[in-house]
Amino acid sequence: MQVALEHIDLELGGKRILRDVSFAVEDGQFVSILGESGAGKSTTLKVIAGLVPQDAGRVLFDGACVDDVPTHRRNTAIVFQDIRLFPNMDVRQNVAFPCKMRKMPKAERLATADAMLEAVQLAGFGDRRTYELSGGQQQRVAVARALAAHPRALLLDEPFSGLDEQLRDEMRKLVSRLHAEFGMTSLMVTHDPDEALVMSDVIVYMSEGRVVQTGSPAELLLHPADDVVRAAFDNSSSIEGVVDDGCFTSGKLVVPAHDVPRGPAVLVRLAGRAPFVHALS
Amino acid sequence: MTAASSHTTAATADMHAELAARRRRARRGLVVTRVLIGVELALVALPLAVVAVWAFTDAWPWPDLWPQSLSLRGIEQALSGRQNMGWETLALSIGIAAACAVITTTVAALACRALCHFRWRGRSAFQFATILPFIIPSTVFAMGVQVVFLQVGLARTVPGVVLAHAVVALPYAIILMTDITQAAGTHREEAARTLGAGPWQMICHVIIPQLLPGIISSLSMCYIMSFSQYFLTLLVGGGRVQTFVLVLFPYLSGGDRTIACAYSLVFLAVTFAVFLIFELVLRRFGVREEGELYG
Repeated sequence: MQVALEHIDLELGGKRILRDVSFAVEDGQFVSILGESGAGKSTTLKVIAGLVPQDAGRVLFDGACVDDVPTHRRNTAIVFQDIRLFPNMDVRQNVAFPCKMRKMPKAERLATADAMLEAVQLAGFGDRRTYELSGGQQQRVAVARALAAHPRALLLDEPFSGLDEQLRDEMRKLVSRLHAEFGMTSLMVTHDPDEALVMSDVIVYMSEGRVVQTGSPAELLLHPADDVVRAAFDNSSSIEGVVDDGCFTSGKLVVPAHDVPRGPAVLVRLAGRAPFVHALS
Repeated sequence: MTAASSHTTAATADMHAELAARRRRARRGLVVTRVLIGVELALVALPLAVVAVWAFTDAWPWPDLWPQSLSLRGIEQALSGRQNMGWETLALSIGIAAACAVITTTVAALACRALCHFRWRGRSAFQFATILPFIIPSTVFAMGVQVVFLQVGLARTVPGVVLAHAVVALPYAIILMTDITQAAGTHREEAARTLGAGPWQMICHVIIPQLLPGIISSLSMCYIMSFSQYFLTLLVGGGRVQTFVLVLFPYLSGGDRTIACAYSLVFLAVTFAVFLIFELVLRRFGVREEGELYG
Protein backbone atom coordinates (compact mmCIF):
# COMPACT_ATOMS: atom_id res chain seq x y z
CA MET A 1 0.00 0.00 0.00
CA GLN A 2 1.21 3.51 -0.75
CA VAL A 3 1.32 5.80 2.28
CA ALA A 4 1.53 9.57 1.89
CA LEU A 5 1.63 12.42 4.36
CA GLU A 6 0.68 15.89 3.12
CA HIS A 7 1.65 18.99 5.11
CA ILE A 8 1.09 17.48 8.56
CA ASP A 9 1.15 19.98 11.45
CA LEU A 10 0.76 18.89 15.05
CA GLU A 11 0.88 20.63 18.40
CA LEU A 12 0.79 18.71 21.69
CA GLY A 13 0.62 20.42 25.08
CA GLY A 14 1.50 23.79 23.57
CA LYS A 15 4.61 22.38 21.81
CA ARG A 16 4.90 22.12 18.06
CA ILE A 17 5.83 18.49 17.39
CA LEU A 18 5.39 18.28 13.61
CA ARG A 19 5.81 21.12 11.10
CA ASP A 20 4.68 20.67 7.53
CA VAL A 21 5.70 17.01 7.32
CA SER A 22 5.24 15.56 3.83
CA PHE A 23 6.60 12.39 2.28
CA ALA A 24 5.33 9.38 0.37
CA VAL A 25 6.16 5.70 0.73
CA GLU A 26 5.64 3.52 -2.35
CA ASP A 27 3.96 0.12 -2.13
CA GLY A 28 6.27 -2.59 -0.77
CA GLN A 29 9.09 -0.19 0.15
CA PHE A 30 11.03 -0.31 3.38
CA VAL A 31 11.39 3.24 4.64
CA SER A 32 13.31 4.44 7.68
CA ILE A 33 12.51 7.63 9.52
CA LEU A 34 15.84 8.72 10.93
CA GLY A 35 16.64 11.51 13.35
CA GLU A 36 17.64 12.53 16.85
CA SER A 37 15.29 11.83 19.74
CA GLY A 38 12.55 14.45 19.93
CA ALA A 39 12.54 14.97 16.17
CA GLY A 40 8.90 13.85 15.94
CA LYS A 41 9.62 10.44 14.39
CA SER A 42 7.43 8.31 16.68
CA THR A 43 4.65 10.89 16.56
CA THR A 44 4.73 10.65 12.75
CA LEU A 45 4.08 6.90 13.03
CA LYS A 46 1.22 7.54 15.46
CA VAL A 47 -0.32 10.01 13.02
CA ILE A 48 -0.15 7.39 10.25
CA ALA A 49 -1.78 4.79 12.56
CA GLY A 50 -4.40 7.34 13.66
CA LEU A 51 -3.44 7.15 17.34
CA VAL A 52 -2.77 10.89 17.36
CA PRO A 53 -4.93 13.08 15.12
CA GLN A 54 -2.99 15.80 13.29
CA ASP A 55 -3.99 19.46 13.51
CA ALA A 56 -3.57 20.11 9.80
CA GLY A 57 -2.71 18.18 6.67
CA ARG A 58 -3.83 14.82 5.30
CA VAL A 59 -2.85 11.16 5.59
CA LEU A 60 -3.43 9.19 2.38
CA PHE A 61 -3.47 5.41 1.92
CA ASP A 62 -3.30 4.50 -1.77
CA GLY A 63 -4.38 8.03 -2.60
CA ALA A 64 -7.49 7.95 -0.37
CA CYS A 65 -7.67 10.24 2.65
CA VAL A 66 -7.99 8.19 5.89
CA ASP A 67 -8.32 11.06 8.36
CA ASP A 68 -11.84 9.92 9.31
CA VAL A 69 -10.91 6.23 9.58
CA PRO A 70 -10.39 5.16 13.23
CA THR A 71 -7.16 3.40 14.19
CA HIS A 72 -8.64 -0.09 14.40
CA ARG A 73 -9.89 0.09 10.81
CA ARG A 74 -6.69 1.53 9.30
CA ASN A 75 -4.93 -1.85 9.51
CA THR A 76 -1.48 -0.47 10.25
CA ALA A 77 0.07 -2.63 12.98
CA ILE A 78 2.74 -0.99 15.14
CA VAL A 79 5.64 -2.86 16.73
CA PHE A 80 6.59 -0.75 19.75
CA GLN A 81 9.99 -0.34 21.37
CA ASP A 82 8.54 -1.41 24.75
CA ILE A 83 6.94 -4.51 23.17
CA ARG A 84 3.46 -4.30 24.81
CA LEU A 85 2.42 -7.96 24.76
CA PHE A 86 -0.76 -8.90 26.65
CA PRO A 87 0.31 -10.48 29.94
CA ASN A 88 -2.96 -12.35 30.49
CA MET A 89 -2.55 -14.37 27.28
CA ASP A 90 0.00 -16.99 26.31
CA VAL A 91 2.29 -16.46 23.32
CA ARG A 92 -0.07 -18.10 20.79
CA GLN A 93 -3.08 -16.08 21.99
CA ASN A 94 -1.01 -12.91 21.77
CA VAL A 95 -0.12 -13.60 18.14
CA ALA A 96 -3.72 -14.68 17.36
CA PHE A 97 -5.09 -11.46 18.91
CA PRO A 98 -5.47 -9.46 15.66
CA CYS A 99 -7.18 -12.45 14.00
CA LYS A 100 -9.55 -12.73 16.97
CA MET A 101 -10.41 -9.04 16.58
CA ARG A 102 -11.28 -9.80 12.95
CA LYS A 103 -13.59 -12.62 14.12
CA MET A 104 -11.56 -15.36 12.43
CA PRO A 105 -12.66 -18.87 13.57
CA LYS A 106 -10.59 -20.26 16.44
CA ALA A 107 -8.86 -23.14 14.63
CA GLU A 108 -7.92 -20.88 11.74
CA ARG A 109 -6.51 -18.10 13.91
CA LEU A 110 -4.46 -20.48 16.05
CA ALA A 111 -3.04 -22.00 12.86
CA THR A 112 -2.19 -18.49 11.61
CA ALA A 113 -0.52 -17.75 14.95
CA ASP A 114 1.62 -20.88 14.72
CA ALA A 115 2.61 -20.03 11.14
CA MET A 116 3.64 -16.50 12.22
CA LEU A 117 5.60 -17.85 15.18
CA GLU A 118 7.44 -20.11 12.78
CA ALA A 119 8.18 -17.12 10.54
CA VAL A 120 9.93 -15.38 13.44
CA GLN A 121 11.75 -18.60 14.40
CA LEU A 122 9.72 -19.21 17.54
CA ALA A 123 7.96 -22.43 16.48
CA GLY A 124 6.95 -24.42 19.56
CA PHE A 125 6.82 -21.37 21.85
CA GLY A 126 3.04 -20.98 21.53
CA ASP A 127 2.13 -22.37 24.95
CA ARG A 128 4.67 -20.28 26.89
CA ARG A 129 3.68 -17.32 29.01
CA THR A 130 5.10 -14.04 27.74
CA TYR A 131 7.14 -13.37 30.89
CA GLU A 132 9.04 -16.63 30.41
CA LEU A 133 10.65 -15.29 27.23
CA SER A 134 13.78 -13.18 26.87
CA GLY A 135 13.58 -9.59 25.61
CA GLY A 136 14.58 -10.61 22.08
CA GLN A 137 12.03 -13.42 21.99
CA GLN A 138 9.31 -11.10 23.28
CA GLN A 139 10.10 -8.60 20.53
CA ARG A 140 9.88 -11.39 17.94
CA VAL A 141 6.45 -12.33 19.36
CA ALA A 142 5.43 -8.69 18.93
CA VAL A 143 6.60 -8.81 15.28
CA ALA A 144 4.68 -12.07 14.74
CA ARG A 145 1.58 -10.50 16.29
CA ALA A 146 1.83 -7.49 13.96
CA LEU A 147 2.30 -9.78 10.93
CA ALA A 148 -0.74 -11.87 11.95
CA ALA A 149 -2.83 -8.73 11.42
CA HIS A 150 -1.78 -8.83 7.71
CA PRO A 151 -1.25 -5.08 7.96
CA ARG A 152 -1.44 -2.88 4.86
CA ALA A 153 1.58 -1.10 6.36
CA LEU A 154 3.85 -2.38 9.11
CA LEU A 155 5.04 0.37 11.44
CA LEU A 156 8.12 -0.27 13.58
CA ASP A 157 8.87 2.20 16.38
CA GLU A 158 12.55 1.77 17.33
CA PRO A 159 11.93 -1.97 17.57
CA PHE A 160 15.51 -2.92 18.39
CA SER A 161 16.48 -0.20 20.88
CA GLY A 162 15.80 -2.30 23.95
CA LEU A 163 17.98 -5.20 22.76
CA ASP A 164 21.72 -5.80 23.06
CA GLU A 165 23.96 -5.38 20.01
CA GLN A 166 24.12 -9.01 18.87
CA LEU A 167 20.37 -9.48 19.16
CA ARG A 168 19.80 -6.25 17.30
CA ASP A 169 21.80 -7.52 14.39
CA GLU A 170 19.81 -10.77 14.30
CA MET A 171 16.54 -8.86 14.54
CA ARG A 172 17.54 -6.51 11.70
CA LYS A 173 18.21 -9.49 9.46
CA LEU A 174 14.95 -11.12 10.53
CA VAL A 175 12.88 -7.99 9.85
CA SER A 176 14.58 -7.44 6.46
CA ARG A 177 13.90 -11.08 5.54
CA LEU A 178 10.25 -10.86 6.67
CA HIS A 179 9.80 -7.65 4.68
CA ALA A 180 11.09 -9.36 1.56
CA GLU A 181 8.94 -12.43 2.27
CA PHE A 182 5.64 -10.71 3.12
CA GLY A 183 6.22 -7.73 0.84
CA MET A 184 4.18 -5.21 2.85
CA THR A 185 5.02 -1.53 2.99
CA SER A 186 7.11 -0.95 6.10
CA LEU A 187 8.06 2.19 8.00
CA MET A 188 10.69 2.01 10.69
CA VAL A 189 11.59 4.75 13.13
CA THR A 190 15.22 4.64 14.22
CA HIS A 191 17.96 6.86 15.59
CA ASP A 192 20.69 4.48 14.41
CA PRO A 193 22.14 5.73 11.05
CA ASP A 194 23.83 2.39 10.24
CA GLU A 195 20.55 0.55 10.74
CA ALA A 196 18.78 2.98 8.40
CA LEU A 197 21.54 2.77 5.75
CA VAL A 198 21.59 -1.01 5.34
CA MET A 199 17.86 -1.78 5.82
CA SER A 200 16.02 0.91 3.86
CA ASP A 201 14.97 1.59 0.30
CA VAL A 202 14.37 5.20 1.33
CA ILE A 203 15.42 7.24 4.34
CA VAL A 204 13.39 10.18 5.61
CA TYR A 205 15.61 12.37 7.78
CA MET A 206 13.70 14.39 10.39
CA SER A 207 14.92 17.13 12.68
CA GLU A 208 12.90 19.34 15.05
CA GLY A 209 9.58 18.21 13.61
CA ARG A 210 10.54 18.83 9.97
CA VAL A 211 11.57 16.55 7.14
CA VAL A 212 15.10 17.63 6.19
CA GLN A 213 15.85 15.17 3.41
CA THR A 214 14.20 12.19 1.72
CA GLY A 215 16.19 9.84 -0.52
CA SER A 216 18.00 6.57 -0.96
CA PRO A 217 20.62 5.61 1.66
CA ALA A 218 23.45 6.39 -0.77
CA GLU A 219 21.97 9.83 -1.57
CA LEU A 220 21.78 10.83 2.08
CA LEU A 221 25.23 9.43 2.76
CA LEU A 222 27.04 10.94 -0.23
CA HIS A 223 24.98 14.07 -0.86
CA PRO A 224 23.56 15.25 2.45
CA ALA A 225 21.20 18.18 1.94
CA ASP A 226 21.96 19.72 5.29
CA ASP A 227 24.63 19.79 7.97
CA VAL A 228 22.42 17.84 10.41
CA VAL A 229 22.20 14.97 7.91
CA ARG A 230 25.96 15.09 7.28
CA ALA A 231 26.58 15.09 11.03
CA ALA A 232 24.29 12.10 11.53
CA PHE A 233 26.52 9.93 9.34
CA ASP A 234 29.81 11.39 10.61
CA ASN A 235 30.15 8.95 13.46
CA SER A 236 33.55 7.49 12.48
CA SER A 237 32.15 3.98 12.21
CA SER A 238 32.42 1.53 9.34
CA ILE A 239 29.96 -0.75 7.57
CA GLU A 240 31.10 -4.10 6.21
CA GLY A 241 30.00 -5.18 2.75
CA VAL A 242 31.12 -6.43 -0.65
CA VAL A 243 32.40 -4.67 -3.78
CA ASP A 244 31.18 -6.04 -7.09
CA ASP A 245 30.80 -4.39 -10.53
CA GLY A 246 32.22 -1.12 -9.23
CA CYS A 247 29.66 -0.85 -6.45
CA PHE A 248 29.91 -1.35 -2.71
CA THR A 249 26.85 -3.21 -1.32
CA SER A 250 25.76 -3.86 2.25
CA GLY A 251 22.13 -4.86 2.76
CA LYS A 252 20.17 -2.32 0.74
CA LEU A 253 22.95 0.26 0.73
CA VAL A 254 24.63 0.61 -2.69
CA VAL A 255 27.51 3.11 -3.10
CA PRO A 256 29.69 3.55 -6.22
CA ALA A 257 33.27 2.31 -5.69
CA HIS A 258 35.00 2.20 -9.10
CA ASP A 259 38.64 1.94 -8.13
CA VAL A 260 38.20 -0.67 -5.43
CA PRO A 261 38.93 -4.35 -6.28
CA ARG A 262 36.16 -6.94 -6.06
CA GLY A 263 35.67 -8.74 -2.76
CA PRO A 264 34.94 -7.88 0.88
CA ALA A 265 35.28 -4.20 1.74
CA VAL A 266 34.33 -1.62 4.35
CA LEU A 267 32.65 1.74 3.99
CA VAL A 268 34.49 4.17 6.24
CA ARG A 269 33.06 7.47 7.46
CA LEU A 270 35.22 10.05 9.19
CA ALA A 271 34.22 13.48 10.42
CA GLY A 272 35.07 16.17 7.88
CA ARG A 273 35.69 13.75 4.99
CA ALA A 274 33.52 12.21 2.32
CA PRO A 275 32.72 8.53 3.00
CA PHE A 276 35.06 6.17 1.16
CA VAL A 277 35.24 2.44 0.45
CA HIS A 278 38.29 0.44 1.46
CA ALA A 279 38.99 -3.11 0.32
CA LEU A 280 39.54 -5.82 2.95
CA SER A 281 42.24 -8.19 1.85
CA MET B 1 51.15 -25.47 56.86
CA THR B 2 51.38 -23.73 53.52
CA ALA B 3 49.95 -20.29 52.93
CA ALA B 4 47.37 -21.67 50.55
CA SER B 5 45.95 -24.23 53.00
CA SER B 6 45.80 -21.74 55.89
CA HIS B 7 43.87 -19.47 53.58
CA THR B 8 41.45 -22.34 52.85
CA THR B 9 41.03 -23.08 56.60
CA ALA B 10 40.21 -19.45 57.27
CA ALA B 11 37.69 -19.49 54.45
CA THR B 12 36.06 -22.65 55.86
CA ALA B 13 35.84 -21.10 59.35
CA ASP B 14 34.24 -18.01 57.82
CA MET B 15 31.73 -20.17 56.04
CA HIS B 16 30.85 -22.02 59.28
CA ALA B 17 30.36 -18.78 61.15
CA GLU B 18 28.19 -17.50 58.34
CA LEU B 19 26.07 -20.68 58.39
CA ALA B 20 25.67 -20.53 62.19
CA ALA B 21 24.57 -16.90 61.99
CA ARG B 22 22.08 -17.75 59.28
CA ARG B 23 20.68 -20.62 61.38
CA ARG B 24 20.31 -18.30 64.40
CA ARG B 25 18.47 -15.77 62.28
CA ALA B 26 16.20 -18.48 60.90
CA ARG B 27 15.41 -19.71 64.45
CA ARG B 28 14.58 -16.17 65.56
CA GLY B 29 12.37 -15.78 62.51
CA LEU B 30 10.56 -19.00 63.40
CA VAL B 31 9.84 -17.75 66.95
CA VAL B 32 8.38 -14.50 65.60
CA THR B 33 6.27 -16.44 63.12
CA ARG B 34 4.88 -18.68 65.86
CA VAL B 35 4.03 -15.72 68.11
CA LEU B 36 2.21 -13.99 65.25
CA ILE B 37 0.24 -17.13 64.43
CA GLY B 38 -0.64 -17.43 68.14
CA VAL B 39 -1.91 -13.84 68.23
CA GLU B 40 -3.91 -14.45 65.05
CA LEU B 41 -5.51 -17.57 66.57
CA ALA B 42 -6.34 -15.75 69.80
CA LEU B 43 -7.88 -12.75 68.07
CA VAL B 44 -9.66 -14.33 65.10
CA ALA B 45 -9.94 -18.09 65.18
CA LEU B 46 -10.89 -18.42 68.87
CA PRO B 47 -13.79 -15.93 68.81
CA LEU B 48 -14.99 -17.55 65.57
CA ALA B 49 -14.88 -20.97 67.22
CA VAL B 50 -16.90 -19.62 70.14
CA VAL B 51 -19.47 -18.21 67.70
CA ALA B 52 -19.64 -21.57 65.92
CA VAL B 53 -20.19 -23.44 69.21
CA TRP B 54 -22.83 -20.95 70.39
CA ALA B 55 -24.75 -21.44 67.15
CA PHE B 56 -25.39 -25.07 68.07
CA THR B 57 -25.95 -24.50 71.78
CA ASP B 58 -29.16 -24.42 73.74
CA ALA B 59 -27.85 -23.39 77.14
CA TRP B 60 -24.35 -22.34 78.13
CA PRO B 61 -24.53 -20.67 81.56
CA TRP B 62 -21.50 -19.05 83.19
CA PRO B 63 -19.02 -20.39 84.45
CA ASP B 64 -19.31 -23.69 82.56
CA LEU B 65 -16.43 -24.32 80.17
CA TRP B 66 -18.59 -26.36 77.79
CA PRO B 67 -22.31 -25.90 76.91
CA GLN B 68 -24.82 -27.99 78.87
CA SER B 69 -26.89 -29.00 75.88
CA LEU B 70 -26.57 -28.68 72.12
CA SER B 71 -29.39 -28.05 69.64
CA LEU B 72 -30.11 -27.03 66.05
CA ARG B 73 -32.67 -24.41 67.14
CA GLY B 74 -30.49 -21.45 66.05
CA ILE B 75 -29.60 -22.73 62.59
CA GLU B 76 -33.17 -23.87 62.00
CA GLN B 77 -34.51 -20.40 62.80
CA ALA B 78 -31.82 -18.67 60.75
CA LEU B 79 -32.75 -20.64 57.65
CA SER B 80 -36.42 -21.45 58.26
CA GLY B 81 -38.00 -18.23 57.06
CA ARG B 82 -40.04 -17.73 60.21
CA GLN B 83 -40.91 -14.07 60.95
CA ASN B 84 -39.85 -12.88 57.50
CA MET B 85 -36.31 -14.17 57.93
CA GLY B 86 -34.30 -16.93 56.39
CA TRP B 87 -33.66 -17.60 52.70
CA GLU B 88 -35.62 -14.65 51.32
CA THR B 89 -33.81 -12.18 53.54
CA LEU B 90 -30.53 -13.79 52.67
CA ALA B 91 -31.27 -13.65 48.94
CA LEU B 92 -32.30 -9.98 49.18
CA SER B 93 -29.13 -9.10 51.10
CA ILE B 94 -26.90 -10.91 48.61
CA GLY B 95 -28.75 -9.22 45.75
CA ILE B 96 -28.35 -5.73 47.26
CA ALA B 97 -24.68 -6.33 48.07
CA ALA B 98 -23.95 -7.76 44.62
CA ALA B 99 -25.73 -4.88 42.86
CA CYS B 100 -23.88 -2.38 45.03
CA ALA B 101 -20.55 -4.09 44.29
CA VAL B 102 -21.09 -4.11 40.53
CA ILE B 103 -22.40 -0.52 40.32
CA THR B 104 -19.72 0.91 42.61
CA THR B 105 -16.87 -0.93 40.88
CA THR B 106 -18.07 0.16 37.45
CA VAL B 107 -18.32 3.80 38.52
CA ALA B 108 -14.93 3.57 40.27
CA ALA B 109 -13.27 2.02 37.21
CA LEU B 110 -14.59 4.80 34.97
CA ALA B 111 -13.65 7.52 37.48
CA CYS B 112 -10.12 6.13 37.88
CA ARG B 113 -9.73 6.03 34.11
CA ALA B 114 -10.72 9.68 33.88
CA LEU B 115 -8.40 10.58 36.77
CA CYS B 116 -5.36 8.57 35.67
CA HIS B 117 -5.33 8.78 31.88
CA PHE B 118 -6.71 12.21 31.06
CA ARG B 119 -5.78 15.76 31.95
CA TRP B 120 -8.75 18.10 32.30
CA ARG B 121 -9.82 21.24 34.10
CA GLY B 122 -11.14 20.45 37.59
CA ARG B 123 -9.45 17.06 37.79
CA SER B 124 -7.93 17.69 41.22
CA ALA B 125 -11.24 18.93 42.59
CA PHE B 126 -12.94 15.82 41.23
CA GLN B 127 -10.27 13.61 42.77
CA PHE B 128 -10.89 15.23 46.15
CA ALA B 129 -14.63 14.82 45.71
CA THR B 130 -14.27 11.08 45.24
CA ILE B 131 -12.94 10.65 48.78
CA LEU B 132 -15.47 13.04 50.38
CA PRO B 133 -17.67 10.20 51.69
CA PHE B 134 -14.65 9.21 53.86
CA ILE B 135 -14.65 12.56 55.56
CA ILE B 136 -18.37 12.82 56.26
CA PRO B 137 -19.46 10.39 59.03
CA SER B 138 -21.85 7.79 57.64
CA THR B 139 -24.51 8.67 60.27
CA VAL B 140 -24.51 12.25 59.04
CA PHE B 141 -24.67 11.03 55.47
CA ALA B 142 -27.54 8.66 56.36
CA MET B 143 -29.62 11.49 57.87
CA GLY B 144 -29.10 13.72 54.87
CA VAL B 145 -29.61 11.10 52.22
CA GLN B 146 -32.83 9.94 53.88
CA VAL B 147 -34.35 13.40 53.48
CA VAL B 148 -33.32 13.60 49.84
CA PHE B 149 -34.49 10.07 49.09
CA LEU B 150 -37.87 10.79 50.71
CA GLN B 151 -38.30 13.75 48.36
CA VAL B 152 -37.37 11.83 45.21
CA GLY B 153 -39.21 8.65 46.18
CA LEU B 154 -36.17 6.45 46.69
CA ALA B 155 -36.64 6.03 50.45
CA ARG B 156 -37.86 2.62 51.60
CA THR B 157 -36.98 1.06 48.23
CA VAL B 158 -34.35 -1.50 47.33
CA PRO B 159 -32.76 0.75 44.65
CA GLY B 160 -32.52 3.50 47.27
CA VAL B 161 -30.65 1.22 49.65
CA VAL B 162 -28.32 0.03 46.85
CA LEU B 163 -27.58 3.63 45.86
CA ALA B 164 -26.88 4.72 49.46
CA HIS B 165 -24.55 1.75 49.98
CA ALA B 166 -22.79 2.54 46.70
CA VAL B 167 -22.06 6.10 47.80
CA VAL B 168 -20.46 4.89 51.03
CA ALA B 169 -18.44 2.19 49.25
CA LEU B 170 -17.26 4.40 46.36
CA PRO B 171 -14.14 5.94 47.98
CA TYR B 172 -12.84 2.49 48.95
CA ALA B 173 -13.39 1.23 45.42
CA ILE B 174 -11.64 4.27 43.93
CA ILE B 175 -8.64 3.90 46.21
CA LEU B 176 -8.39 0.20 45.32
CA MET B 177 -8.65 0.87 41.59
CA THR B 178 -6.42 3.94 41.25
CA ASP B 179 -3.01 2.27 41.50
CA ILE B 180 -3.82 -0.57 39.17
CA THR B 181 -5.35 1.77 36.59
CA GLN B 182 -2.17 3.86 36.76
CA ALA B 183 0.06 0.77 36.48
CA ALA B 184 -1.89 -0.67 33.55
CA GLY B 185 -1.49 2.58 31.58
CA THR B 186 -2.78 3.00 28.04
CA HIS B 187 0.18 1.49 26.17
CA ARG B 188 -1.39 -1.90 25.58
CA GLU B 189 -4.64 -0.23 24.54
CA GLU B 190 -2.73 1.64 21.83
CA ALA B 191 -1.19 -1.63 20.67
CA ALA B 192 -4.61 -3.32 20.63
CA ARG B 193 -6.11 -0.48 18.58
CA THR B 194 -3.44 -0.72 15.90
CA LEU B 195 -4.05 -4.48 15.82
CA GLY B 196 -7.71 -3.94 14.96
CA ALA B 197 -9.53 -3.92 18.32
CA GLY B 198 -12.71 -1.82 18.28
CA PRO B 199 -13.96 -0.02 21.42
CA TRP B 200 -15.97 -2.96 22.85
CA GLN B 201 -13.37 -5.55 21.96
CA MET B 202 -10.81 -3.40 23.74
CA ILE B 203 -12.92 -3.27 26.92
CA CYS B 204 -13.47 -7.06 26.92
CA HIS B 205 -10.08 -8.30 25.80
CA VAL B 206 -7.63 -5.68 27.04
CA ILE B 207 -8.96 -3.26 29.65
CA ILE B 208 -10.93 -5.61 31.92
CA PRO B 209 -8.28 -8.38 31.99
CA GLN B 210 -5.63 -5.77 32.83
CA LEU B 211 -7.68 -4.33 35.70
CA LEU B 212 -9.07 -7.66 36.91
CA PRO B 213 -7.11 -7.94 40.19
CA GLY B 214 -8.28 -4.44 41.15
CA ILE B 215 -11.82 -5.13 39.98
CA ILE B 216 -12.02 -8.27 42.13
CA SER B 217 -10.62 -6.47 45.20
CA SER B 218 -13.09 -3.67 44.68
CA LEU B 219 -16.04 -6.04 44.18
CA SER B 220 -15.13 -7.90 47.39
CA MET B 221 -14.73 -4.71 49.38
CA CYS B 222 -17.99 -3.16 48.16
CA TYR B 223 -19.84 -6.43 48.64
CA ILE B 224 -18.79 -6.74 52.26
CA MET B 225 -19.42 -3.05 52.95
CA SER B 226 -22.97 -3.36 51.69
CA PHE B 227 -23.63 -6.78 53.19
CA SER B 228 -22.61 -5.63 56.68
CA GLN B 229 -24.23 -2.18 56.56
CA TYR B 230 -26.73 -1.67 59.39
CA PHE B 231 -27.55 1.93 60.22
CA LEU B 232 -27.71 3.23 56.67
CA THR B 233 -29.95 0.34 55.57
CA LEU B 234 -32.23 0.89 58.54
CA LEU B 235 -32.63 4.59 57.84
CA VAL B 236 -32.92 4.52 54.04
CA GLY B 237 -34.85 1.25 53.97
CA GLY B 238 -37.15 2.57 56.65
CA GLY B 239 -37.63 -0.95 58.01
CA ARG B 240 -39.28 -2.06 54.79
CA VAL B 241 -36.09 -3.29 53.16
CA GLN B 242 -35.14 -6.14 55.51
CA THR B 243 -31.54 -7.20 55.04
CA PHE B 244 -29.73 -9.94 56.86
CA VAL B 245 -27.89 -7.60 59.23
CA LEU B 246 -31.14 -5.86 60.13
CA VAL B 247 -32.56 -9.20 61.22
CA LEU B 248 -29.35 -10.21 62.97
CA PHE B 249 -28.90 -7.03 64.99
CA PRO B 250 -31.77 -7.35 67.52
CA TYR B 251 -30.53 -10.81 68.50
CA LEU B 252 -27.02 -9.46 69.04
CA SER B 253 -28.23 -6.66 71.29
CA GLY B 254 -31.30 -8.44 72.63
CA GLY B 255 -29.70 -11.46 74.18
CA ASP B 256 -30.60 -14.62 72.27
CA ARG B 257 -27.01 -15.57 71.59
CA THR B 258 -27.84 -18.90 70.00
CA ILE B 259 -29.80 -17.29 67.19
CA ALA B 260 -27.38 -14.34 66.89
CA CYS B 261 -24.49 -16.77 66.49
CA ALA B 262 -26.41 -18.94 64.04
CA TYR B 263 -27.05 -15.85 61.91
CA SER B 264 -23.41 -14.82 62.21
CA LEU B 265 -22.35 -18.25 61.04
CA VAL B 266 -24.59 -18.06 57.98
CA PHE B 267 -23.27 -14.53 57.37
CA LEU B 268 -19.69 -15.79 57.46
CA ALA B 269 -20.43 -18.78 55.24
CA VAL B 270 -22.11 -16.61 52.61
CA THR B 271 -19.31 -14.04 52.61
CA PHE B 272 -16.72 -16.78 52.42
CA ALA B 273 -18.53 -18.38 49.49
CA VAL B 274 -18.68 -15.07 47.61
CA PHE B 275 -14.95 -14.46 48.13
CA LEU B 276 -14.23 -18.00 46.99
CA ILE B 277 -16.12 -17.33 43.76
CA PHE B 278 -14.05 -14.16 43.20
CA GLU B 279 -10.84 -16.12 43.79
CA LEU B 280 -11.92 -18.77 41.27
CA VAL B 281 -12.67 -16.08 38.69
CA LEU B 282 -9.15 -14.70 39.18
CA ARG B 283 -7.64 -18.17 38.68
CA ARG B 284 -9.79 -18.69 35.61
CA PHE B 285 -8.22 -15.61 34.03
CA GLY B 286 -4.74 -16.69 35.06
CA VAL B 287 -4.17 -13.57 37.13
CA ARG B 288 -3.03 -15.54 40.18
CA GLU B 289 -0.23 -17.17 38.22
CA GLU B 290 3.39 -16.43 38.85
CA GLY B 291 4.99 -13.63 36.94
CA GLU B 292 4.51 -9.93 36.65
CA LEU B 293 1.32 -8.65 35.19
CA TYR B 294 2.88 -5.33 34.39
CA GLY B 295 6.43 -5.94 33.22
